[in-house]
Amino acid sequence: MRQWLHRMNPSIKFVIITISMMTMAFFFNPWTPLVFFFGVVLFQLAFAKVSWKIWGLMMLPFLLGAVGYFWTTLVFGNDNADPLGTALSLSFRVLAFSSLSLLFVFTTKPVDFILSLMQQLRLSPKIAYSILVGYQFLPVLKDEFVQIQQAQELRGIVKPKSPVKRVLTMRHVLIPMLAGAVRKAERTAFAMEARGFTGESDRTFYRRAAIGRTDIWMTIMFLALVLISIYAGIMGPAIQ
Amino acid sequence: MLKSWKLKEVVLMSLFAVVFGIIYLMFLHLGNVWAAVIGPIAYEWIFGIWFIVSIIVMAIIRKPGAAVIPETMAAAIEVMLGNAVGPRLILAGVIQGLGAEAVFAATGYKRYNLAVFMMAGAGAAIFSFVYGYLLGGFAALAPEYVLLMFVIRVMSGAIIAGIGGKYLVDALLATGSLRGYAITKRDAHA
Repeated sequence: MRQWLHRMNPSIKFVIITISMMTMAFFFNPWTPLVFFFGVVLFQLAFAKVSWKIWGLMMLPFLLGAVGYFWTTLVFGNDNADPLGTALSLSFRVLAFSSLSLLFVFTTKPVDFILSLMQQLRLSPKIAYSILVGYQFLPVLKDEFVQIQQAQELRGIVKPKSPVKRVLTMRHVLIPMLAGAVRKAERTAFAMEARGFTGESDRTFYRRAAIGRTDIWMTIMFLALVLISIYAGIMGPAIQ
Repeated sequence: MLKSWKLKEVVLMSLFAVVFGIIYLMFLHLGNVWAAVIGPIAYEWIFGIWFIVSIIVMAIIRKPGAAVIPETMAAAIEVMLGNAVGPRLILAGVIQGLGAEAVFAATGYKRYNLAVFMMAGAGAAIFSFVYGYLLGGFAALAPEYVLLMFVIRVMSGAIIAGIGGKYLVDALLATGSLRGYAITKRDAHA
């Protein structure tokens, strides 16, 4: 039970989460997103191993964003019957979407996600493996970023203090990095082709991403949660 | 669509998506801090940065798909990095990329000048705004306020993605590393 969300097929999870979010977008009462938010948190408590400390840290910026949404809607809201209810609804929606995203992020391994997109959702292997190449290069690019900065500092380029100037001078690092990326891409593509990678979609896979019974159960539970949230929105009392 | 693509072009797209995926994330955090203070309009000023990879890769590779695919890849990389916005970013990436792609498609993938880049940035802004309108519940906000958000986003798209993208591509071209891509071949004829 504690591993169900981790065991789910990443593509199925991705599709369900997207559908749930699209459904939530049509509701402007506070109860639907609120119930949905608590449901999603409950799912994570029951079916996943989540570090709640990190969860809280990652949720914090969205909590602030929800506050921003709340007062914006109150001040600049459309003239409707229930301004407070709508403002609450939009802020809860931010929370609901964020908790749903965290659910995905905490229970899905990046590489499995791409492999599953290729096997279940027919993503082209050319694209899928290129994304995996990019993902593998992340630490290399990170090192390169530091190296370029250090090399420039050695030559006497001073890092500006103000954040605006720092954004504008990003190009000094960005252009050498992009030029390096072009060369890496060429070398990697040659290496892949030399090992027989054709990018055809009728390839075989060493690691298979399967769809199992867990996926059926979790799909049913997500659908139930969406329906309960909608029901709560219809039955819930109006704010005012 | 991918049949005509060389593998090195697809990998290039992916590596650019990684570099810009990291930059996109930095700006997302910047936007989040702002948004707490001034509400969702905080993102609008900097929105153009999130369209820039479409324009840069399209300017280099010049094939159908070179705007929408790298934008989607950058979003996928952002998700793989484990940021909290998660899977809905991928959908946003597809939609923004399609907005830029539509402009390049309208020129028949033949014109690559500043005006087209700015229009592509604006196109991405328009597409992404429709998506944001739905998911962000902008229908609940006053029409004037929504219009203001829209105008700022389109301008940001045209300026940051269009002009900024053109600037970065020109600088990259000057390094000489782009030999062997469409950008150097076609410019030689022009």
